[in-house]
Amino acid sequence: MNARNKKIRSGALAAFFVAMLLGTLSMPAFGQNPRLDIKNLEALSKKASEVVDVNLDGSLLKLASKFMTDEDDREALGIIKNLKGVYVKSFTFEKPDDYSPADVEAIRSQLQAPAWSRIVSARSKHEGENAEIYLMTAPDGGSVLGMAIICAEPTELTVVNIVGPVDINKLSQLEGKMGIPRLGEQTDESPQKPEGHRAKP
Amino acid sequence: MRNHRPLLAPAILSVALLQTLPTGARAGDSEFHSLVERMSDYYQKGPVRHMGWLNFFANPFTAGGVSHFQMAIFDDVDASRTHAGEDLESSLASLVGPPYQPFVSVHDARSGEWTCIYTRESGNERTEMLIISIDSSDAVLMQMQLKPEAMRKWVEDPLERSRDARRGAQDAQRGQP
Repeated sequence: MNARNKKIRSGALAAFFVAMLLGTLSMPAFGQNPRLDIKNLEALSKKASEVVDVNLDGSLLKLASKFMTDEDDREALGIIKNLKGVYVKSFTFEKPDDYSPADVEAIRSQLQAPAWSRIVSARSKHEGENAEIYLMTAPDGGSVLGMAIICAEPTELTVVNIVGPVDINKLSQLEGKMGIPRLGEQTDESPQKPEGHRAKP
Repeated sequence: MRNHRPLLAPAILSVALLQTLPTGARAGDSEFHSLVERMSDYYQKGPVRHMGWLNFFANPFTAGGVSHFQMAIFDDVDASRTHAGEDLESSLASLVGPPYQPFVSVHDARSGEWTCIYTRESGNERTEMLIISIDSSDAVLMQMQLKPEAMRKWVEDPLERSRDARRGAQDAQRGQP
Protein backbone atom coordinates (compact mmCIF):
# COMPACT_ATOMS: atom_id res chain seq x y z
CA MET A 1 0.00 0.00 0.00
CA ASN A 2 2.77 2.37 1.01
CA ALA A 3 4.77 1.51 -2.09
CA ARG A 4 1.71 2.17 -4.28
CA ASN A 5 1.07 5.49 -2.59
CA LYS A 6 4.69 6.46 -3.08
CA LYS A 7 4.41 5.60 -6.79
CA ILE A 8 1.27 7.70 -7.17
CA ARG A 9 2.82 10.57 -5.25
CA SER A 10 6.03 10.55 -7.29
CA GLY A 11 4.00 10.29 -10.51
CA ALA A 12 1.90 13.31 -9.50
CA LEU A 13 5.04 15.21 -8.56
CA ALA A 14 6.64 14.43 -11.93
CA ALA A 15 3.48 15.52 -13.75
CA PHE A 16 3.45 18.74 -11.72
CA PHE A 17 7.08 19.50 -12.63
CA VAL A 18 6.44 18.75 -16.31
CA ALA A 19 3.45 21.09 -16.24
CA MET A 20 5.56 23.77 -14.52
CA LEU A 21 8.33 23.33 -17.11
CA LEU A 22 5.87 23.59 -20.01
CA GLY A 23 4.34 26.65 -18.40
CA THR A 24 7.76 28.29 -18.08
CA LEU A 25 8.64 27.47 -21.68
CA SER A 26 5.45 29.01 -22.96
CA MET A 27 5.92 32.20 -20.88
CA PRO A 28 8.13 34.09 -23.37
CA ALA A 29 5.42 33.81 -26.01
CA PHE A 30 2.97 35.66 -23.84
CA GLY A 31 5.65 37.85 -22.31
CA GLN A 32 6.83 39.20 -25.69
CA ASN A 33 6.91 42.96 -25.81
CA PRO A 34 5.59 45.15 -28.63
CA ARG A 35 8.47 47.53 -27.81
CA LEU A 36 11.58 46.10 -29.43
CA ASP A 37 15.04 46.37 -27.99
CA ILE A 38 16.54 48.43 -30.81
CA LYS A 39 19.72 48.93 -28.77
CA ASN A 40 20.62 45.44 -30.00
CA LEU A 41 21.71 47.12 -33.22
CA GLU A 42 24.37 49.28 -31.52
CA ALA A 43 27.15 47.22 -33.13
CA LEU A 44 26.04 48.58 -36.51
CA SER A 45 26.61 52.16 -35.33
CA LYS A 46 30.35 51.68 -35.69
CA LYS A 47 29.99 50.61 -39.32
CA ALA A 48 27.49 53.30 -40.34
CA SER A 49 28.29 56.72 -41.74
CA GLU A 50 25.10 58.17 -40.24
CA VAL A 51 22.90 56.92 -37.44
CA VAL A 52 19.52 58.44 -36.68
CA ASP A 53 17.35 57.63 -33.67
CA VAL A 54 13.80 58.89 -33.34
CA ASN A 55 11.82 58.36 -30.12
CA LEU A 56 8.23 59.53 -30.20
CA ASP A 57 6.50 58.55 -27.00
CA GLY A 58 2.76 58.60 -26.39
CA SER A 59 2.64 62.06 -24.79
CA LEU A 60 4.41 63.69 -27.74
CA LEU A 61 2.14 61.91 -30.20
CA LYS A 62 -0.97 63.00 -28.28
CA LEU A 63 0.23 66.58 -28.18
CA ALA A 64 0.95 66.67 -31.90
CA SER A 65 -2.31 64.93 -32.78
CA LYS A 66 -4.35 67.70 -31.11
CA PHE A 67 -3.32 70.01 -33.89
CA MET A 68 -3.79 67.71 -36.85
CA THR A 69 -6.87 69.48 -38.05
CA ASP A 70 -6.26 69.47 -41.81
CA GLU A 71 -8.50 67.32 -43.98
CA ASP A 72 -5.41 65.43 -45.25
CA ASP A 73 -4.39 64.57 -41.69
CA ARG A 74 -7.69 63.00 -40.65
CA GLU A 75 -6.72 59.38 -41.36
CA ALA A 76 -3.23 59.76 -39.88
CA LEU A 77 -4.77 61.39 -36.80
CA GLY A 78 -7.04 58.38 -36.31
CA ILE A 79 -3.95 56.17 -36.09
CA ILE A 80 -1.58 58.44 -34.16
CA LYS A 81 -3.90 59.36 -31.31
CA ASN A 82 -4.07 55.75 -30.09
CA LEU A 83 -0.39 54.94 -30.40
CA LYS A 84 1.86 54.49 -27.38
CA GLY A 85 5.05 55.22 -29.26
CA VAL A 86 6.92 55.27 -32.55
CA TYR A 87 10.63 54.41 -32.51
CA VAL A 88 12.86 54.58 -35.55
CA LYS A 89 16.49 53.63 -35.94
CA SER A 90 18.12 54.31 -39.27
CA PHE A 91 21.65 53.56 -40.46
CA THR A 92 23.29 54.90 -43.62
CA PHE A 93 26.40 53.18 -44.93
CA GLU A 94 29.14 54.28 -47.28
CA LYS A 95 29.23 51.04 -49.29
CA PRO A 96 26.65 48.33 -50.00
CA ASP A 97 28.61 45.59 -48.23
CA ASP A 98 29.17 47.57 -45.02
CA TYR A 99 26.44 45.57 -43.31
CA SER A 100 25.20 42.04 -43.75
CA PRO A 101 21.75 40.46 -43.42
CA ALA A 102 23.08 38.72 -40.30
CA ASP A 103 23.34 42.12 -38.62
CA VAL A 104 19.56 42.40 -38.77
CA GLU A 105 19.15 39.10 -36.90
CA ALA A 106 19.37 40.97 -33.57
CA ILE A 107 15.98 42.44 -34.43
CA ARG A 108 14.49 39.47 -36.28
CA SER A 109 15.19 37.22 -33.29
CA GLN A 110 12.79 39.34 -31.25
CA LEU A 111 10.03 39.00 -33.84
CA GLN A 112 9.16 35.40 -33.10
CA ALA A 113 5.88 33.54 -33.25
CA PRO A 114 3.42 33.13 -31.65
CA ALA A 115 3.11 36.81 -30.71
CA TRP A 116 4.76 38.24 -33.82
CA SER A 117 3.91 37.29 -37.37
CA ARG A 118 5.41 38.48 -40.62
CA ILE A 119 2.60 39.78 -42.76
CA VAL A 120 4.43 41.41 -45.65
CA SER A 121 7.73 40.70 -47.33
CA ALA A 122 8.55 42.91 -50.28
CA ARG A 123 11.69 42.56 -52.35
CA SER A 124 13.05 44.47 -55.29
CA LYS A 125 15.71 42.48 -57.11
CA HIS A 126 16.81 45.43 -59.24
CA GLU A 127 17.23 47.90 -56.42
CA GLY A 128 18.27 45.35 -53.83
CA GLU A 129 15.61 46.62 -51.46
CA ASN A 130 13.87 44.45 -48.96
CA ALA A 131 11.01 45.37 -46.64
CA GLU A 132 9.39 43.20 -44.01
CA ILE A 133 6.39 44.07 -41.88
CA TYR A 134 5.66 42.19 -38.67
CA LEU A 135 2.55 42.46 -36.56
CA MET A 136 2.13 41.64 -32.90
CA THR A 137 -1.35 40.66 -31.86
CA ALA A 138 -2.88 39.86 -28.49
CA PRO A 139 -3.02 36.12 -27.63
CA ASP A 140 -6.74 36.09 -28.47
CA GLY A 141 -5.86 37.48 -31.90
CA GLY A 142 -8.33 40.29 -31.42
CA SER A 143 -6.19 43.37 -31.19
CA VAL A 144 -2.94 44.58 -32.68
CA LEU A 145 -0.39 45.48 -30.01
CA GLY A 146 2.44 46.64 -32.20
CA MET A 147 4.20 46.61 -35.52
CA ALA A 148 7.77 46.31 -36.70
CA ILE A 149 9.11 47.30 -40.10
CA ILE A 150 12.55 46.32 -41.33
CA CYS A 151 13.50 48.24 -44.44
CA ALA A 152 16.86 47.15 -45.86
CA GLU A 153 18.47 48.87 -48.82
CA PRO A 154 22.05 48.34 -50.04
CA THR A 155 23.36 51.36 -48.14
CA GLU A 156 20.53 52.00 -45.70
CA LEU A 157 18.86 50.04 -42.97
CA THR A 158 15.80 51.33 -41.13
CA VAL A 159 13.96 49.64 -38.29
CA VAL A 160 10.60 51.06 -37.27
CA ASN A 161 8.76 49.96 -34.15
CA ILE A 162 5.20 51.18 -33.69
CA VAL A 163 3.75 50.40 -30.26
CA GLY A 164 -0.02 50.42 -29.94
CA PRO A 165 -3.00 49.54 -32.10
CA VAL A 166 -2.29 50.20 -35.75
CA ASP A 167 -4.31 49.18 -38.77
CA ILE A 168 -2.07 47.68 -41.46
CA ASN A 169 -4.45 48.98 -44.13
CA LYS A 170 -3.87 52.53 -42.93
CA LEU A 171 -0.11 52.23 -42.61
CA SER A 172 0.33 54.16 -45.86
CA GLN A 173 -0.99 57.24 -44.01
CA LEU A 174 2.11 57.19 -41.82
CA GLU A 175 4.63 56.59 -44.60
CA GLY A 176 7.05 59.47 -44.93
CA LYS A 177 6.02 60.78 -41.52
CA MET A 178 7.72 60.45 -38.12
CA GLY A 179 10.82 58.97 -39.76
CA ILE A 180 8.87 56.03 -41.22
CA PRO A 181 10.19 55.28 -44.73
CA ARG A 182 7.94 55.24 -47.78
CA LEU A 183 7.19 51.56 -48.32
CA GLY A 184 5.07 52.23 -51.40
CA GLU A 185 8.26 52.63 -53.38
CA GLN A 186 9.00 48.93 -52.88
CA THR A 187 7.95 46.48 -55.56
CA ASP A 188 6.97 42.80 -55.75
CA GLU A 189 4.87 43.06 -52.63
CA SER A 190 3.83 39.67 -51.37
CA PRO A 191 1.52 39.68 -48.36
CA GLN A 192 1.86 36.54 -46.32
CA LYS A 193 -0.38 34.70 -43.96
CA PRO A 194 0.48 35.51 -40.38
CA GLU A 195 2.49 32.68 -38.93
CA GLY A 196 1.52 33.31 -35.30
CA HIS A 197 -1.74 34.77 -33.99
CA ARG A 198 -4.08 35.90 -36.70
CA ALA A 199 -5.45 39.39 -36.41
CA LYS A 200 -9.19 39.73 -36.81
CA PRO A 201 -10.04 41.81 -39.87
CA MET B 1 4.08 116.28 1.63
CA ARG B 2 6.90 114.68 -0.45
CA ASN B 3 6.69 114.74 -4.21
CA HIS B 4 6.81 111.15 -5.63
CA ARG B 5 6.45 112.22 -9.27
CA PRO B 6 10.16 112.00 -10.22
CA LEU B 7 10.22 108.33 -9.09
CA LEU B 8 6.92 107.41 -10.70
CA ALA B 9 8.02 107.64 -14.35
CA PRO B 10 11.02 105.28 -14.09
CA ALA B 11 8.95 102.85 -12.02
CA ILE B 12 6.20 102.73 -14.66
CA LEU B 13 8.84 102.31 -17.39
CA SER B 14 10.46 99.43 -15.48
CA VAL B 15 7.15 97.65 -14.98
CA ALA B 16 6.27 98.16 -18.67
CA LEU B 17 9.65 96.73 -19.71
CA LEU B 18 9.21 93.71 -17.44
CA GLN B 19 5.79 93.08 -18.94
CA THR B 20 7.30 92.81 -22.42
CA LEU B 21 9.54 89.95 -21.29
CA PRO B 22 7.84 86.55 -21.35
CA THR B 23 7.47 85.18 -17.84
CA GLY B 24 8.56 81.71 -18.96
CA ALA B 25 11.87 83.08 -20.13
CA ARG B 26 12.59 84.55 -16.71
CA ALA B 27 11.71 81.29 -14.98
CA GLY B 28 13.69 79.20 -17.47
CA ASP B 29 16.77 81.42 -17.38
CA SER B 30 18.24 79.96 -14.21
CA GLU B 31 17.66 76.43 -15.44
CA PHE B 32 19.38 77.14 -18.74
CA HIS B 33 22.28 78.74 -16.89
CA SER B 34 22.58 75.66 -14.72
CA LEU B 35 22.73 73.52 -17.89
CA VAL B 36 25.41 75.82 -19.30
CA GLU B 37 27.34 75.44 -16.05
CA ARG B 38 27.12 71.66 -16.29
CA MET B 39 28.37 71.84 -19.88
CA SER B 40 31.18 74.17 -18.72
CA ASP B 41 32.16 71.62 -16.07
CA TYR B 42 32.03 68.84 -18.67
CA TYR B 43 34.28 70.72 -21.11
CA GLN B 44 36.21 72.53 -18.37
CA LYS B 45 35.74 75.84 -20.14
CA GLY B 46 33.11 78.55 -20.31
CA PRO B 47 30.83 79.43 -23.24
CA VAL B 48 31.51 82.20 -25.75
CA ARG B 49 30.76 85.53 -24.09
CA HIS B 50 28.14 88.08 -25.14
CA MET B 51 25.67 85.42 -26.26
CA GLY B 52 23.37 86.73 -23.54
CA TRP B 53 22.56 89.78 -25.66
CA LEU B 54 21.43 87.61 -28.55
CA ASN B 55 19.29 85.57 -26.19
CA PHE B 56 17.87 88.75 -24.66
CA PHE B 57 16.81 90.12 -28.04
CA ALA B 58 15.57 86.77 -29.39
CA ASN B 59 13.51 85.95 -26.31
CA PRO B 60 10.44 88.17 -26.74
CA PHE B 61 9.89 87.10 -30.34
CA THR B 62 7.91 84.09 -31.37
CA ALA B 63 8.68 82.95 -34.89
CA GLY B 64 7.09 79.83 -36.33
CA GLY B 65 5.73 78.78 -32.95
CA VAL B 66 9.17 78.93 -31.31
CA SER B 67 9.83 81.17 -28.33
CA HIS B 68 12.06 81.54 -25.27
CA PHE B 69 15.09 80.76 -27.38
CA GLN B 70 18.43 80.56 -25.58
CA MET B 71 21.80 79.51 -26.87
CA ALA B 72 25.31 78.91 -25.61
CA ILE B 73 28.33 78.14 -27.76
CA PHE B 74 31.44 76.40 -26.51
CA ASP B 75 34.25 76.81 -29.05
CA ASP B 76 37.59 75.02 -29.26
CA VAL B 77 36.44 72.31 -26.91
CA ASP B 78 38.66 69.36 -26.13
CA ALA B 79 37.55 66.94 -28.87
CA SER B 80 39.20 63.97 -27.18
CA ARG B 81 36.99 64.64 -24.17
CA THR B 82 33.87 64.66 -26.36
CA HIS B 83 34.69 61.35 -27.96
CA ALA B 84 36.32 59.76 -24.94
CA GLY B 85 33.14 58.08 -23.78
CA GLU B 86 31.95 55.03 -25.68
CA ASP B 87 28.40 56.22 -25.36
CA LEU B 88 28.20 59.97 -25.78
CA GLU B 89 24.42 59.89 -25.71
CA SER B 90 24.29 58.45 -22.21
CA SER B 91 26.84 61.03 -21.03
CA LEU B 92 24.67 63.78 -22.47
CA ALA B 93 21.50 62.28 -21.01
CA SER B 94 23.00 62.36 -17.53
CA LEU B 95 24.18 65.91 -18.15
CA VAL B 96 20.73 67.02 -19.27
CA GLY B 97 18.84 65.31 -16.47
CA PRO B 98 15.81 63.04 -16.23
CA PRO B 99 12.95 65.48 -16.98
CA TYR B 100 14.09 65.60 -20.59
CA GLN B 101 13.33 62.62 -22.79
CA PRO B 102 15.50 61.74 -25.80
CA PHE B 103 13.63 62.66 -28.97
CA VAL B 104 16.04 62.54 -31.91
CA SER B 105 19.73 61.85 -32.18
CA VAL B 106 21.80 62.04 -35.33
CA HIS B 107 25.41 60.97 -35.54
CA ASP B 108 27.35 61.73 -38.70
CA ALA B 109 30.51 59.62 -38.60
CA ARG B 110 32.06 61.44 -41.59
CA SER B 111 31.98 64.88 -39.99
CA GLY B 112 32.03 63.58 -36.42
CA GLU B 113 28.91 65.60 -35.61
CA TRP B 114 26.43 64.59 -32.96
CA THR B 115 23.06 66.24 -32.61
CA CYS B 116 20.98 65.14 -29.65
CA ILE B 117 17.51 66.58 -29.16
CA TYR B 118 15.56 66.23 -25.92
CA THR B 119 12.03 67.31 -25.09
CA ARG B 120 9.81 67.71 -22.07
CA GLU B 121 6.36 69.11 -21.43
CA SER B 122 6.43 72.64 -20.11
CA GLY B 123 2.74 73.27 -19.41
CA ASN B 124 0.08 75.06 -21.49
CA GLU B 125 0.50 72.32 -24.12
CA ARG B 126 3.96 73.62 -24.93
CA THR B 127 7.06 71.55 -25.30
CA GLU B 128 10.50 72.57 -24.18
CA MET B 129 13.23 71.43 -26.50
CA LEU B 130 16.91 71.14 -25.83
CA ILE B 131 19.31 70.72 -28.74
CA ILE B 132 22.94 69.79 -28.20
CA SER B 133 25.09 69.82 -31.30
CA ILE B 134 28.69 68.75 -30.99
CA ASP B 135 31.41 68.45 -33.60
CA SER B 136 35.14 67.90 -33.39
CA SER B 137 35.84 71.38 -32.02
CA ASP B 138 32.61 73.10 -30.96
CA ALA B 139 29.49 72.43 -28.93
CA VAL B 140 26.23 74.35 -29.17
CA LEU B 141 23.45 74.20 -26.60
CA MET B 142 20.04 75.54 -27.57
CA GLN B 143 16.87 75.65 -25.53
CA MET B 144 13.48 76.79 -26.79
CA GLN B 145 9.78 76.45 -26.23
CA LEU B 146 7.58 75.11 -29.00
CA LYS B 147 3.91 75.76 -29.47
CA PRO B 148 1.95 72.62 -30.42
CA GLU B 149 1.78 73.56 -34.10
CA ALA B 150 5.60 73.83 -34.18
CA MET B 151 5.96 70.55 -32.29
CA ARG B 152 3.61 68.92 -34.76
CA LYS B 153 6.03 69.78 -37.56
CA TRP B 154 8.82 68.11 -35.58
CA VAL B 155 6.71 65.00 -35.02
CA GLU B 156 5.75 64.82 -38.69
CA ASP B 157 9.29 65.04 -39.98
CA PRO B 158 11.81 64.69 -37.15
CA LEU B 159 14.68 63.88 -39.51
CA GLU B 160 14.36 66.98 -41.66
CA ARG B 161 13.77 69.21 -38.62
CA SER B 162 16.84 67.84 -36.86
CA ARG B 163 18.90 68.47 -40.01
CA ASP B 164 17.58 72.06 -39.96
CA ALA B 165 18.62 72.31 -36.31
CA ARG B 166 22.10 71.05 -37.18
CA ARG B 167 22.39 73.62 -39.95
CA GLY B 168 21.20 76.29 -37.48
CA ALA B 169 23.86 75.23 -34.97
CA GLN B 170 26.54 75.31 -37.70
CA ASP B 171 25.43 78.80 -38.76
CA ALA B 172 25.55 79.93 -35.14
CA GLN B 173 29.09 78.59 -34.81
CA ARG B 174 30.20 80.36 -38.00
CA GLY B 175 28.45 83.61 -37.10
CA GLN B 176 29.79 83.85 -33.58
CA PRO B 177 31.75 86.98 -32.70
